[in-house]
Amino acid sequence: MAALMSTLSTEPIRLDALGPSGPYRTRKHVTVPDLTGNPVAELSLVPRLYVQRTMAALHRARPMPPGERAKALARAGRLFATGPVNGLSAEHYQRLVSRVCGMPISVVRAATDAIARSAAQAYGSTQYARPNGAVTDWRDPITRDGRALWTRRGDVFAVHAAGNHPAVHTLWLEAVALGYRVAVRPSRREPFTPHRLITALREAGFGDDQVVFLPTDHAVADDIIRDADLAMVYGGEDVVSKYGRNTNVLPQGPGRSKILIAEEDWTPHLDVVVDSVSSQGGTACVNTTAVFVAGDPRPLGEAVAERLSAIPSLPPEDDGAVLPAQSLANARAVEKYLFDHVGDAEILLGGGGIVDDLGDGIGVLRPAVMRVDRADAPQTGIELSFPCVWVAPWSYDDGIGPLKDTLVLTAITGDEGLIDRLMAEPTIGNVYVGDHPTHWMAPWVPHDRYLAEFLMRTKGVIRD
Amino acid sequence: MSNATDPVLDVLDCPVDQVPDGREFVEAAMRWHFDPQTGSPFWLKRAENLDFDPLTDVHTFADLRLFPNVVNEFRDVRVEDLVPKGYGSRPEVIGVFESGGTTGPPKLVVLLADWMDRLMHHHNRLMDEHGYPRVANWLSLGPSGPHIFGELIRQQVRRRGGFRFSVDLDPRWVKKLISENRLDEAGRYAEHLIDQSAYALRTQDIGVLVTTPPLLVRLSRRDELVALINEKVRVIVWAGAHLDPDTRALLRDEVFPDVKIIGNYGSTMIMGSVSERTGLDDDDPCVFDPFSPYISFSVVDPETRREVPYGERGQVVMHHLSKNLLLPNNLERDTALRVQPPPGQLGDAVADVAPLAVFEDERVIEGVY
Repeated sequence: MAALMSTLSTEPIRLDALGPSGPYRTRKHVTVPDLTGNPVAELSLVPRLYVQRTMAALHRARPMPPGERAKALARAGRLFATGPVNGLSAEHYQRLVSRVCGMPISVVRAATDAIARSAAQAYGSTQYARPNGAVTDWRDPITRDGRALWTRRGDVFAVHAAGNHPAVHTLWLEAVALGYRVAVRPSRREPFTPHRLITALREAGFGDDQVVFLPTDHAVADDIIRDADLAMVYGGEDVVSKYGRNTNVLPQGPGRSKILIAEEDWTPHLDVVVDSVSSQGGTACVNTTAVFVAGDPRPLGEAVAERLSAIPSLPPEDDGAVLPAQSLANARAVEKYLFDHVGDAEILLGGGGIVDDLGDGIGVLRPAVMRVDRADAPQTGIELSFPCVWVAPWSYDDGIGPLKDTLVLTAITGDEGLIDRLMAEPTIGNVYVGDHPTHWMAPWVPHDRYLAEFLMRTKGVIRD
Repeated sequence: MSNATDPVLDVLDCPVDQVPDGREFVEAAMRWHFDPQTGSPFWLKRAENLDFDPLTDVHTFADLRLFPNVVNEFRDVRVEDLVPKGYGSRPEVIGVFESGGTTGPPKLVVLLADWMDRLMHHHNRLMDEHGYPRVANWLSLGPSGPHIFGELIRQQVRRRGGFRFSVDLDPRWVKKLISENRLDEAGRYAEHLIDQSAYALRTQDIGVLVTTPPLLVRLSRRDELVALINEKVRVIVWAGAHLDPDTRALLRDEVFPDVKIIGNYGSTMIMGSVSERTGLDDDDPCVFDPFSPYISFSVVDPETRREVPYGERGQVVMHHLSKNLLLPNNLERDTALRVQPPPGQLGDAVADVAPLAVFEDERVIEGVY
């Protein structure tokens, strides 16, 4: 522990770009502060010319064979979760992320394990997306009769990553498993996770020209996408509207996950609601943003508020922390944003303020529960990065309109006709029927479609 | 010179290979530009609204600070009014040159032959020190038209020998496309320029390539052209835009290891440019010395307008002081490190010139990303 403390108090860590010829330290860099404003890292920012040359090198590189990729991914995941990487222990890494993002340390630890599991399962997970009629190798004897081959749509995959949650970095591992060369542009808010993961991939056997870490400033970010065959971009509505028509870019937009309780008695489902709102600090796209309930939403809202209000305000590095923290200034900005947009909603929890000042310039974001009086109230689409939920009345007359544009919908109903309609609705990503929290995931269940649906295509093959 | 006995002209018209004393030069320039017989109509009229007397109050480089920044008045001035009367009724005009027009209507200057000769002598000397080939063909991939960029190259080639090839860039059109967020079109236009430069690079013996850093970076995407440049070109000159130190190092070490890469820093409103200091090490920032006493710089705190300490970054102020033009205190949209100039030079040397910082905030409140 003494050793750990001494490492934590040293100079800011240098986070170099990881390019096709190894680490690349730029003269230009940006300071990554922790919540109190202390610099904890200096992140290199690569210029356009470096991006160009790196992307060209990725296009020139040939992938490793699939079996080797799968093994190396598993090794990298273990290393990421347990080993020292770049001289940084897993514990140190987790504390850094927690200190910088304000994410509860327990959530960071769980995410670390999730990344290791995803790495080990990455290749296997992709196979759930493979069409029944397609084989993975043209040498498969069955292609003599004519078959579909499952093949990449391109060679180079770019990711504009998000910094809200380390587990966003589980997804692109599937692209690595499928043989893509991958360029990750980290979020400046949290570059530690992709840097550690890509370093681990390299130590586990991936060549420097297979996976790269390309921190850039905003002006150069689009170059990474332009020079890739396919890209995935995290962001809000702006990202969706910017790339929505580009078939080579997969936007990862707002989650706006929801719960529908189509039954009068919501009491047996309170645990699922509370869990869906507050798990992971409420920072994930799969956290519930709005709950629709048959009848008057106020009693449910009050019950949720009572449960959430019992969560203590703790520093994010505390083992018992559940709520996210931010710098006090940022936390106040979130609070102001919420109050500016609450409109005609009734605040059931958080009306006196949602920021708990922990001192040292850190503010914990305390839960907020708001009640709106109709199902189509626009506030139910406001997704904020802490446990913040809108409760709304719902009846069959409202139909499924208010439930659209949703990453995960938990539907508590026995009405098969209603379930049919939810299953058929194209703007709802996932439908979980019954008491399953919106943040539930499994490697064989798609998150927002299978990523491999985007990465792969079929190709007709027949041979002698 | 017919008036060689005139003490003012003795200083202002001194031989091109001599460097006049700073104080003598400033005083002579004041007498020239504010004498009703020799000054330009612009300055003679403008002097009526100055709260000091340039003839009695301005003696040193530091005193130039008394002048207001009049550069915006060069947007709508009649060009005839910019020519000092002392040149007579038939001055030898090289051309009217215009600023890029980034911040409004373009600003104008009238460039006269005696100044061009003086500037070219300076450039030639530095080119020799940098080891530019004496007789080589040049390819200019950058603005011509009303901009000084192309004219300076034309004049350089005329004096050094060789043929000049040119591809024209209209920077105002690019700025317009970018301001309208038509980035695809701007990219297409840039590719069109590179396409044109490829003809000359393939078929001609190009020894010197002059272009802007963004075009050089774009050109680096084409392996064929990179190979041709490494094979044929001895010197790449960049000018007209900023080059960050990381890109500069990559260009030098990885993309064009066989070519010398030299920066020029200038502006229409100083009627010229200065060249990168010779003898810099790879780890040194790119330093530009003034062409003292004619073209000089100050690096100041944007708030107080006082010089920042040496080694610190501040905003660049440019000064032009010659028989042709008086234009001190032009605050540029550039920042630079303030560097000690060589002994006897007026003002500062500047290093690692960069655009004025644009505040970048990626933080968005709504949403989880």
